Formats: sequence, structure tokens, C-alpha cells
Amino acid sequence: MVAAFLSNWRFSAGQTVDKWSLLVLILCAILLGPVAALVVTAFGDSGGLWPHLLETVLGRYVLNTLVLMLGVGVLAVGFGVSTAWVVSRYEFSGRHVLEWMLLLPAAIPAYIIAYTYTDFFEYAGPLQAGLRDLFGWTSPRDYWFPEIRSLGGAMLVMASVLYPYIYMVTRIAFKLTSSSLFEIALVHNKSQFWTVGLPLARPAIMAGLALVLMEVVSDFGTVEYFAIETLTLGIFNVWLGMNNIVAAAQISIVGFVFILSLLGLEIYARSRQQYAGSGRSQRPLTPLPIGPIGKFWCYLACLTPLLFGFFIPVGVLLKFVFAAPFIQHLSALSGTILNSVMIAMFAAILVMLVSATIVLTSVYRASEKTRSIALVSSTGYAFPGTMLAIGVLIFASTIDRSISGLTNGNVSGLLVGGFGVLMLAYLVRFQAVGYGAMLSGARRLPANMMNASRVLGQGFSGSLIRVILPLLRGSVLAGGLLVFVDVMKELPMTLLLRPFDFETLASFTYQFAKEEMLETAALPALMIVVVGLVPVLLMNRMLRRIS
Amino acid sequence: MGILSKSTRGNNRGNTGAHTGGNNPKSPFAMAKLLGATMLALAGVSGVMAPPVLATDSINIYSHRQQILIQPFLDAFTAKTGIETRIVYASKGLAQRLQAEGAASPADVILTVDIARLSEYADLDLLAPTRSTILEQNIPAHLRATDGRWFGLSERARIVVTSKERVAVGAIAEIEDLAKPEWKGRLCSRPGSHVYNRALLASIIAADGETKATAWAKGVVANMARKPQGNDRAQAKAIFQGLCDVAIMNSYYYGNMLFGDEAEQRDWANAVNLVFTNQDNRGNHVNISGGGIAKHSPRKAQALAFLEFLTTPEAQQLYGEINYEYPVNPAVTVTGPLASWGSFKRDQLPIERLAELAPAAQKIIDRSGW
Repeated sequence: MVAAFLSNWRFSAGQTVDKWSLLVLILCAILLGPVAALVVTAFGDSGGLWPHLLETVLGRYVLNTLVLMLGVGVLAVGFGVSTAWVVSRYEFSGRHVLEWMLLLPAAIPAYIIAYTYTDFFEYAGPLQAGLRDLFGWTSPRDYWFPEIRSLGGAMLVMASVLYPYIYMVTRIAFKLTSSSLFEIALVHNKSQFWTVGLPLARPAIMAGLALVLMEVVSDFGTVEYFAIETLTLGIFNVWLGMNNIVAAAQISIVGFVFILSLLGLEIYARSRQQYAGSGRSQRPLTPLPIGPIGKFWCYLACLTPLLFGFFIPVGVLLKFVFAAPFIQHLSALSGTILNSVMIAMFAAILVMLVSATIVLTSVYRASEKTRSIALVSSTGYAFPGTMLAIGVLIFASTIDRSISGLTNGNVSGLLVGGFGVLMLAYLVRFQAVGYGAMLSGARRLPANMMNASRVLGQGFSGSLIRVILPLLRGSVLAGGLLVFVDVMKELPMTLLLRPFDFETLASFTYQFAKEEMLETAALPALMIVVVGLVPVLLMNRMLRRIS
Repeated sequence: MGILSKSTRGNNRGNTGAHTGGNNPKSPFAMAKLLGATMLALAGVSGVMAPPVLATDSINIYSHRQQILIQPFLDAFTAKTGIETRIVYASKGLAQRLQAEGAASPADVILTVDIARLSEYADLDLLAPTRSTILEQNIPAHLRATDGRWFGLSERARIVVTSKERVAVGAIAEIEDLAKPEWKGRLCSRPGSHVYNRALLASIIAADGETKATAWAKGVVANMARKPQGNDRAQAKAIFQGLCDVAIMNSYYYGNMLFGDEAEQRDWANAVNLVFTNQDNRGNHVNISGGGIAKHSPRKAQALAFLEFLTTPEAQQLYGEINYEYPVNPAVTVTGPLASWGSFKRDQLPIERLAELAPAAQKIIDRSGW
């Protein structure tokens, strides 16, 4: 089938298959394998469950999912773009610290933030208790307070930890925009943000937003804890409640279609526009001085997302850490920390290698078809982790069996049960992160950069390595960092696919958090944030050198 | 918006076309280098973090119970038999992992926390039918599969808790009482589709039939003080806070809150009375934690030894001591805190029925919006 597809592809391209494109197609086939496995599962017999679902819950699931996507999308874009704009455009003290601090919420796992937020905002939490003391209320019937375990609460909580996906790429986009363009806007008395910054950063914002929305569709931890009936919650109700994994796979395909249509819209909107600056600013973008009122807005813009995405959850975690004797746990954690760092590092390198290959090939030499395949292959992110892990298991065990058959059983169990399957899973899931970072970077490079290099005698690979990749250092670093932090906190796939007796910080945290033993879970959860801090600081230093 | 330049990609394509003649030898080389680097990364991971070689006398466990709760049993088992244990814990999907691994699976024993998961394994034909006089002697027939694929290892009662301050002792006797209008705005629970509530509703379907069970679920939803949310502990907390007066909860959470490390949870537990329901008729609904032997287990004898060990008085006492669960072994007497809560009549419904009725229960939950 693959051969037929390839020959067909060659035929329509009217030329021999380019080796780079072939490599990209093979990589995409690997990335799409687990998704295909889920699609195959979805073709099974769901036992006539759909009439019941349509009649009772499906409408609610779809509506809740759409509203949640909309709310989180708007909030996250608001947080991400406003912070990226003020830290890259205006001069105010503390700007350099805020620049990297704004990334920190990305390191906080969603299943932890849900717990901490409930603790903070609920009836017995410090906020309501303080209000009761202040106003002399004695029971919940005395006053109205917004319920944190609601659709609105979930929007706030999720946007507060997801906006860094947008912030990160958008900030790079702003920094790489030539300062002369902003000056043109200033001369013409037009808004620098609305006429220059925002339109030129659109590919980056969209890349970040796509990640955020995929994360929203696939999230289980937060929606379960907040009892929001989204499609993903429905998937698990059908799978575990009705023992019907076929119907569960079918619902997850519905979520997948949501994401595909969003991507389609974005491609359509962009199809007639190409963004190209001159690559690097002729002059570095110098932040503008700003008056006291402007500074106030800058601080407000930066501190609001930090408050919700970092200070509140970390504050709650710290409260728990100091409430329990934790020294005994700390020493036990060292091996776990090492495990987490190792898998996150290898996964980040692997994902960035693959996404750089795919993005640069598809941008510079592949056909339109290959580009579309490359885009679709980065949508593993839209599946709930556990479902994707099941797809990965089916796909990997098929490969294992094929290899075992080819080698007469000499090589067996190559992937499943070891680290291979875990790395494959991370690659499939977080390819979207690397892909988004690379693509938004590559889109901003002028097309003639590659052409010039080729004219000057460099081959394609030489041009990539000597010209294009150095220009995209920022994107590679940004993508690698996000993948690192994502893998550090990733839970459902790690939990299900890890080898025997292998604990990561996330899996270790979860077994306590699940029992609502927050005092014990707080320390490993905090370690996820602390360990995530190291690459954030490193990367920030490198980014500053670039800009 | 004049900055946005409109252009086609024709230029790029033209270049690509000119290049594909293969006149650049560097290209495949670089490609190989990239692939090589990828492989190296993968090999590096496997090399650096290769799992330890399996000891000859050891078993591999897939567990739906957290390692922290299982470890004391594993230690006791290893101390007694010299058989080492290795474990993977995950809350869901392990059955699919086992299924994907097929005959090559290294797993020997499956441990789960409720009948729904056990029957999922059984439905997928992943468990080996096992005959053991020790298991059959130590576990009552209604708590194990008729074909010997799975065995209940501990019992957990789903009970009602009521506010000490605001609800008179004896005000609730039956689980069916929760649907009565007098509890309007006073009831709390986790979402209905949680496995514990689903099993509870299945037991009500078994006792009262689907029509009455549907009416009950709707009555319960109508009585909710707040949208169903949180886990079982959160319900006791809500009673402590005065948000509601009556809640549904698994018995072991009460013990864990009362005697656990988390200081504030003691207050939650102290705010409630325990009610074992239906003592004058079928008895309080119970679920099990249980286990079975993997169909393709390479070490079935050791796996069986482990399951048998879990039903011995020594291990059965551990269930109570570690997690406040009730022993399944009738020869084991309950001691400590468990005994202080009083003995109670347990629903003798064959536990298999809970799994069979789970899909019907989930449908009622969907319809009632619990």
C-alpha cells in the first residue's frame, strides 16, 4: 500500500522522488501510525451506542468542548500576546526577569494546578475564608462566590498555564521583526502593535494557539477534577464505563476532526499570504522608554498571568510542602528526578531533530502534498494522552511483531515495554510542539535566503546546516524547551508505557495527588517546576544572545 | 498591511525541481547523518536507562493500585518466598497494553481496584483460568469469577456519611433514602460516572430493577447541594464545611482521613457519622480489589503463589492496616479501627453482576445527568 502510494505520489509530482521528501514521508508515516491505529480501532463495532450518546450526552460534550476551546483560546492569546509585546517592545525595570518568569507556568502540570486552585478558591480556601472574616458571613448561603469547578474556572486555569506556548513563539516573532518596520508605523502615526507587530506575528500566534487548543481538546486531568463534561471526559466514560473502547476511539476521532478543521481554516486563511521579513533585524529592536502609566499597564499585563499561572499554584504547593515532614521524601526523589530529566532531554532532542527535518524539507523542497501530510502528522497532540498511548501501543507492537518475524524471533520486544515505546509516544505527541516552533520560525525567513545559499554553491543540506539552522536557533531552542517541559510533566502516556519499576516526577506525584494526599504530592510536583526552571534559564540566556 | 508581501511558492518549487536530479552527493549523506543521530538518540536512551535484567525468580505486576499502597504486600511476599517483584502502576489502559503485547508480554499478575477493571481484562481474554484450592478456600464464591480468571482480594464498602451536627443518627437507613425529597439541597457526591458510583448504581439495578434505579438516580441528582464533583474525600470536606449534610463515600477513605498524614483531613472525618445502609434487607453495597494471572504469564506458578499469599491471614490483615479495607477471607477477624466501626451485613450479590450491569448503569447516569 505504501509502495502504491509512493508511486502514485511520484507520478503526480512528475519527477523522481526526492530523497529528503522520502525521508519526511517515512517520518510522517511513523508519526501517523498510532493515529491510524486509533482510526482502525474506531472502525470496529460500537454496539449501537451512538443513538444513546446522541440522545443524552454528546451534544453537551461537544458544546462544552467548543466553549472551553473558545474561552481558553481567547484568554491564552490575550495573556500570551500582551506579555510578549510588552516585554519585547517596552523598557521597564524587571523586564529581563519577567521575560523568563513568564515561561514558568508551562512547567506546572494541569492535574496539579486543578488541585491547587480548588484548594485556594473553594469554600474553605484562604480567599473565601478571608472574605467571610471580612464581611462576617457564616455560611455558603450568605453570599455568592463563583464556583472554581466550572467551565469559567477551567478556562482561567487552563489559559493560565497554556499561554506560554503562545508567549514563547510570539516573543521571538516580535524580536525578529525589523525595527525599521516599527519606525515606519511610528512615522505614519499608526499603532505599532496593530499594524506591524500583530500581523507579522500572526503565524507564530496561530502556531501557539493551535497547540493550546489541541491541549484543551485532549486534557483529561483538569476537566475530570472540575467535572466539565467535554469530549475527552466522554471518551473515558464510554471506554471505562461501558467497556466500549470502539466508541471511545470514535469520540476521540470527533475531537480530532475539530482540530483538523481548525488547521484547515488557518491554512485557507493563509494560503494567499506569505510572511517574510528580511530575516534578521538590520538593527536590534530596542525597547522603547515608557511613562509611569504605561509601566503600570506593562506590569499589570505581565503579573496577571504570572499570578494565576505561577504564584497561586506554587504558593499552595509551598504551603503543603512546609506542612509535612518532607526530608525523607527529598532523598528518595533523586533517582526520580534523574529519570525525568533524562527522558525529557532525549525526547526534546529527538522531537527537534525530527521536526527540523520535516519542517525545513517541507518548506524548501517538498510538494504541497508533502506539506499537508507533514501538517497532519503533527496532530497527535489533539488526542487524549491515554488514547494516543493505546494507539502507540498497537502500532509499536505491530512493528515489534514484524521485526520479530523478519529476524526469526531473534529480536523481539524492541519497543513495547522499554524506552523505545515511550520515546515514540513522546515523539508522536510533542511533534506538534516542535513543528509549530520550527514552522513559525521558518515562515519568517525570506525565501531567497535558501536560494542565495544555493547559488553560492552550497548544497541543500549544507545550506540547511550552515545558513538556515543558525538563523533558526531561537526556534529550535524554543521548541526544544517546550518539549522538555512538556515531557517533564506529561502523565498519562508515561504512566501507561513506562518500563517496570520506573518512576518519573510526574508518575510519582500522581499516585499521591490521586488520593488527594496533596501534602505528600506537593514536593515532587514542585520539583517538576524547579527542574523545568533550569532549561528555561539556559534558553533565555541563549535567546538574549541571539536578539 | 502593506508589509505583507504576496508571493507564490513557485520559486522554491523550481529550485527543488532542478535539484532532484541527484547531482548533489551531500544530500543523502546529510540525511543519513540525521537519521543516524536520531537512532543514536534512541539507542542512547535504551543504553543509558536499560531496565535491569530480570532475576530468575521474580514476577512482573501490572497494577491499577498505586505502588505506595502495594509496596508493603510486595515486601512481605519477597521476605516470605524470596521471589522478587517488579511493578508498573497506571490508572487506566494497562489492559490495552497487555493486549498489545500479546504472547510476548512479560506481565504475570494483574492487580486492580474494582470489579469493572477486572472484568475488562476478562472480556478481552487476557486472564488465565486458574484452579487453586487455597484461593477457593480463602475467598467466598460470590467474590471470585466462576471460571477462575479473577479473584477478589479485599472488600470495600460504599457507605453513606452524614453530618454529626445536622443529621440525626438513624435518619438514613437505606441507600434508596437518598432520593427522598427531604434531602433536597443537602446531598453531595462525586460524578455519577465514576466507577464507584457506577457500581453502586449497578447494585441498585440488581436489587430494584432499572426503572426504580433510574428514578432513584434522578432523585439523587435533584437532591444535590452542588454539581457532582471531586473525589470521595472532597465530599467529607464539603460536609465539614457545611456545604452539604449527606454524602456517599467508600469506607476506607474515612480511615485514611482519620489516621493519615494530612492533618486537616482529620477534621473532615470527625465531622461525619458512618452509615452502613440496607442492614435490614440485602446489606451494604460492596466492591472488591482483586487480581488475576496474565494469560501469557511466563511464570504462572510464582504468580499463583503471589495471589495465594494475598489471601493469607497475614496479608489480609495488611489490607485493613494499610488502607482500611475489609478482608475477603472469612477466617480473618477484623481488628483495629475497622472493628471499631462495627460489623455490618454486606450485599452478597455475585460481584460479577456489578460488571455486567455497568453499561446499563452508565446509561442511566447519562440520562439523569449525575
